[in-house]
Amino acid sequence: MAERIAVTFTLNGEKRSFQVPAGRRLLDLLRDDAGLTGTKEGCGAGECGACTVLLDGRPVTSCLVLAASVEGCEVVTVEGLGGAAGHLHPFQRALVDTGGVQCGFCTPGVAVTGAAIVALDVADPAEQARLLAGNLCRCTGYTKIFAALEAAREARHAK
Amino acid sequence: MDLPINTVLRPASLAEALKLLAERPGARPIAGGTDLVVQLRDGRRHADVLVDLAKVGLAGIRDSERGLVIGAGTSMDAIAAHPGVRSRFPALAAAAARVGAWPIQCRATLGGNLGNASPAADTVPALLVAGAAVTIASARGQRQLPLEELFAGPGRTHLKPNELIVSVLLPSVRLGQGRRLVERFVKVGPRQEQIISVVCMAGRAIVAADGRIELVRLAFGSVAPTPVRARATERLLERKVLDGSLRHEALAVVQEDVKPIDDVRAPASYRRLAVATLLDRFLAEVARG
Ligand SMILES: Cc1cc2nc3c(=O)[nH]c(=O)nc-3n(C[C@H](O)[C@H](O)[C@H](O)COP(=O)(O)OP(=O)(O)OC[C@H]3O[C@@H](n4cnc5c(N)ncnc54)[C@H](O)[C@@H]3O)c2cc1C
Ligand code: FES
Ligand code: FES
Repeated sequence: MAERIAVTFTLNGEKRSFQVPAGRRLLDLLRDDAGLTGTKEGCGAGECGACTVLLDGRPVTSCLVLAASVEGCEVVTVEGLGGAAGHLHPFQRALVDTGGVQCGFCTPGVAVTGAAIVALDVADPAEQARLLAGNLCRCTGYTKIFAALEAAREARHAK
Repeated sequence: MDLPINTVLRPASLAEALKLLAERPGARPIAGGTDLVVQLRDGRRHADVLVDLAKVGLAGIRDSERGLVIGAGTSMDAIAAHPGVRSRFPALAAAAARVGAWPIQCRATLGGNLGNASPAADTVPALLVAGAAVTIASARGQRQLPLEELFAGPGRTHLKPNELIVSVLLPSVRLGQGRRLVERFVKVGPRQEQIISVVCMAGRAIVAADGRIELVRLAFGSVAPTPVRARATERLLERKVLDGSLRHEALAVVQEDVKPIDDVRAPASYRRLAVATLLDRFLAEVARG
């Protein structure tokens, strides 16, 4: 029987504590223990990006992160990107406006990585593409996702 | 699904981590987990006890008298973005930016890339051409090893189970008057990102003002059981001025030198072609000046 491990970290701005089996992945903690089902599991092997969350401000695939190892860290899921509940991050708003969402399965991961790209203020399209290349989308063809990135970047500069 | 392990220990210092590894035979270190989690999940590796290195303080890049020291816990993202790595060791910066895709790079560590000992580990050829050395620690002390002596075969290092990679030293390059440094990393695969190299190559050359190649180091990944230097090709090129016939000869020699393998990702015949093509492009850059 696996031991249970205590882990305390900041989840979407709130300090939270969990008791989970030692081998629990951050992805399962988020979905099953914290009830945040926005984060999706696609491949479970780090390849598709559907499970991407921000860990200390950087996008990571939560299917490869051991829950125990985020002790003391800051985790933001798609639910927390916009700050307060019900608020959208400018990139999420732009995804809606440009039509960068179709089936929606990749969207939570795309929103998280995209928000991180906007935060870095990356203007070079080739570099934007490199940074987003770990988030696979089989519906949109990416054109509108990149349009949304541009719109969110402009919105940021307009402020 | 939970990973099939019994417990995770979370030491707060390197000394504590080394003590735990010494006391618990069968414990395995975990850094970013981007190799180990997949292997545990698929049953390709087993571990009862994981020792999580997250809080051990192995991340960071600093300058020393001998060169740049990169902590084993430094992420690929941090390496690729570091101004000193980018300007002084551009092959490593390029390789780090080609490990998986960004969400992998933000988690994957240099120590994990070495510890996993994949023949396709992208940072290794870049570190080999930089003449890197690894600092290894156990509860009993530290030792340093040329990177070339770390690997024992696919998935195997010469580390003892109670040892950790602490850092990697990249010796500084002193460029004499009128010399120029050419350093490149290139990787071939079905796609640019999120792809295990079918062949990757790093090259470093120091070229004198008269065009003579004073030093050349060539290293290939994913062609043999461990990443390899192409030493016969290096000897052929060194102290010569690159011309058409030398370049031609090098392309023939490198295919014998590296002796690529057949596997699921590509036949040896493809790899030979890729090895020669990557070398040809590198030599074009060397000749261009
Ligand atoms: C989708 C995907 C794409 C990938 N693409 C690439 C790619 O393009 N190129 C590439 O090279 N790799 C790739 N990888 C593999 C992996 O991301 C890298 O090898 C990474 O650098 C491993 O680092 P980690 O910190 O995640 O290691 P972990 O998984 O934590 O550890 C890997 C191994 O190293 C050992 N280890 C870790 N730290 C130390 C230490 N300090 N001392 C001793 N042993 C240690 C562990 O015990 C384990 O055996 C990919 C992985 C995924 C999931
Ligand atoms: S589910 Fe994590 S990357 Fe696919
Ligand atoms: S919208 Fe369907 S996978 Fe991206």
